[in-house]
Amino acid sequence: MNSEGHPLLNIKNLVKDFGGLRALNNVSLSIEGGEIRGLIGPNGSGKTTMINLITGNYKIDNGAIYYSGDRIDGLQPYVIASKGIMRTFQISRVFKDMTVLENMMVPALTQDQSMVEAKALAEELLEFALLTRLKNEPAKNLSGGQNMLLQIVRGFMNKSLRLYLLDEPFAGVHQVIKGVILRTIKKMNEEKGITFIVVSHELTTIQYLCHQISVLHRGEIISQGNMEEVANDPLVIDAYLGG
Amino acid sequence: MGVLYCLMSLGVTFIYGIMKVINWAVGEFFMIGAYVQYLLIVIFLGVRYWYVGVFIVALCTFFLGAFAQKILIKPMFVGMVEEKTEYATIVTIAMAILFRNLAIFMGGPYIYTPPDYAPPTHIGPLPLSGNNFIAFVGTIAILALFFYFLKRTWIGKAFQAVSQNRAGVLTAGIDVLKFDMIAFGIGTALAGAGGALLAPVLLVYPLCGVIPTVRGFEIIVIGGLGSIPGVFAAGLSIGIAESLGAAFINPSFVDIYGFGLLMFILLIKPYGLFGKPERSV
Amino acid sequence: MTITFYYVVMAITWNLLGGYTGQFSLSHHTFALIGSYTSALLMIKTGIPLWLGMASSWIFNAFVSVLLGILCLRMRGIYLALTTWAFAEIVKTYIRMDFEFTGGDRGLKTALFFKTMNPLPYYYLFLVFAVLTIIVIVFIMRSRIGYYLRTIRNDEVAAQAMGVNTVRWKVFAFMVASFFASIAGTLYGHFTGLISPVTGDFYEMALIIIFVVIGGMRSQAGPVVGTLSVRFLAEVLKKWPELRMVILATAVILIMRFFNGGLMEFIRQGYQRIQKWKKGQPVSVYQKDG
Repeated sequence: MNSEGHPLLNIKNLVKDFGGLRALNNVSLSIEGGEIRGLIGPNGSGKTTMINLITGNYKIDNGAIYYSGDRIDGLQPYVIASKGIMRTFQISRVFKDMTVLENMMVPALTQDQSMVEAKALAEELLEFALLTRLKNEPAKNLSGGQNMLLQIVRGFMNKSLRLYLLDEPFAGVHQVIKGVILRTIKKMNEEKGITFIVVSHELTTIQYLCHQISVLHRGEIISQGNMEEVANDPLVIDAYLGG
Repeated sequence: MGVLYCLMSLGVTFIYGIMKVINWAVGEFFMIGAYVQYLLIVIFLGVRYWYVGVFIVALCTFFLGAFAQKILIKPMFVGMVEEKTEYATIVTIAMAILFRNLAIFMGGPYIYTPPDYAPPTHIGPLPLSGNNFIAFVGTIAILALFFYFLKRTWIGKAFQAVSQNRAGVLTAGIDVLKFDMIAFGIGTALAGAGGALLAPVLLVYPLCGVIPTVRGFEIIVIGGLGSIPGVFAAGLSIGIAESLGAAFINPSFVDIYGFGLLMFILLIKPYGLFGKPERSV
Repeated sequence: MTITFYYVVMAITWNLLGGYTGQFSLSHHTFALIGSYTSALLMIKTGIPLWLGMASSWIFNAFVSVLLGILCLRMRGIYLALTTWAFAEIVKTYIRMDFEFTGGDRGLKTALFFKTMNPLPYYYLFLVFAVLTIIVIVFIMRSRIGYYLRTIRNDEVAAQAMGVNTVRWKVFAFMVASFFASIAGTLYGHFTGLISPVTGDFYEMALIIIFVVIGGMRSQAGPVVGTLSVRFLAEVLKKWPELRMVILATAVILIMRFFNGGLMEFIRQGYQRIQKWKKGQPVSVYQKDG
């Protein structure tokens, strides 16, 4: 809860259609500040669509999205980023022709930090993420896992960051890097109170990481709770096995 | 007259549909076609067999185009190049400049006049240039051939499939890269054939490909990239716009009306009449 | 040499738009054309003094470029190229058609910038202008704006997700590049004393691209190096104008195919090799794998 008593993110009756296909059907979800929320569900259930709606990459067809009490649906993605909502992509979108350090600096620069400040903060974060030796490499030379790590750490450069949406951050990532990612998420959550929504298929990792889990299936939330509750929910079992 | 430039537009649109690449050098293939046709007629065949010339020209430009594609453009798709559209644009523009200057260098900046394909005739009381007539009929014939090929033959259908879903056709066992090369060759062959057909009309000189390129692209922008029906709709619309404009506004501004239509269409439909935007997220 | 400075400006400003921001515009030369004609026509038809004609022309150009930039906002590479190409052809064709107003193909006589016939003042004028432009453009490229522009070229969606207002900066790039192009055009017009639609030919645009590609598209100094070297080469091969174009076009194709960074990349790699050789290290300059 923030000081006004609103949840940090409040999604009400969200509907999204793609032509004849209804991707999200009356989805409601609410996330408190400081949570790490897992978002799971079979393929095609609408998880990435939901993220894209929150970040403004897609337009909603019905419903509303509230962030700290303010409506944010309909805003441009860069405005939403400046309000403190960052996201990563399933397939890492780093700036390939720019160095790791330059990649890092971008979110700080757009939030009006000076080049000097941005550089210092970037180097600090890179140190924490064990990426320092790559800092002057063009991002295109990085491995897949390193790219994902860069993507994730880059988001922390936004000084107004309060809500971070991670789309499949562990997919195809080396164990060691995965460990760094987990460590980073936990630390940012505990020390800075940053709220996370983590979309993933890796249920053990989700269980370890997340306080609460929402389950999406065919565009609807079918269950919510901690891992034990959700794992034993017959609806969820049916969704994963039945499909 | 618009019909004649349809061959150019078709060439470019077809290549784009398959490879998602614009061949800015298409006018130069037209020009090469015109030159080769001229040489064939003057040296070997004699004007009576002009249609044989056209056929040979089409073959030559086909191979030239396919070859160019193979060494220049294919690397783009084999993951060796990053910015693809930029690469293709720059390379095809460079090709255009190269061919133009090569033509001047080798043949001199002269205008060659091929002999008439057919004597001037009459339709009723109106005089008709034999060459224009032949060009018109020839274009229609080639267009008909092309459509037959596209719609009725197996290969044609394969091309349609590639233009709709590049990744998907791989699973159907189609060697996309080879098709790319053939498509490029076909596109350039269309332009070359156009050059051969129009040689007596537009005359043969190094820059003879410039105007057809402009007209051809005009048609494409209006009709929409990658859309074959668009080419016809656009060609027709330009013809109408030009006639109307010349009749009601000012006949000396003739070239502008086509462009005026183009601006209008771009404002309301930025991708052309039948064009489709590309996906992003 | 004066003309070379003109091309240096055109090359480095186009690179800001095309090489840096990824907006592959094919109508850069058109803004030089519009610039020169607007200024000349304003002076001829309304009698206003030179500096006012020029300044008005620049403002008009900035306005037009913003409109064009906005029109092209949603367009990806190919459509952008096509639309800007269409714009270039429309403007050129209009100038040719409306010959009563613009003089058409016969050209238009313009007022001269300096009263004297001596070419030297023009040389310095263009030199100063070129240097000024280089300073401004490089300054932009090194600033945070340069970062934003590069992110736009790399991945617009990701750029937006990082807080970059891609709309604003794309239009900005358009406007700045075209503004300087229009200044170059007006200066050119009032230097040669005769302007014609030929400046708006596709060939001019191809030249600009050649200069930039040979020098190195992604670098800051590339366009300058490219323009200077190519113009020098052109001067050397003056007797065979077509052959030199064939050579240049081939060079462009080879560079795009094999050596993407152009001359600047060549210099950079050469420099790296020398550094490594001095330190006694193995001389391969390929990046280490992560």
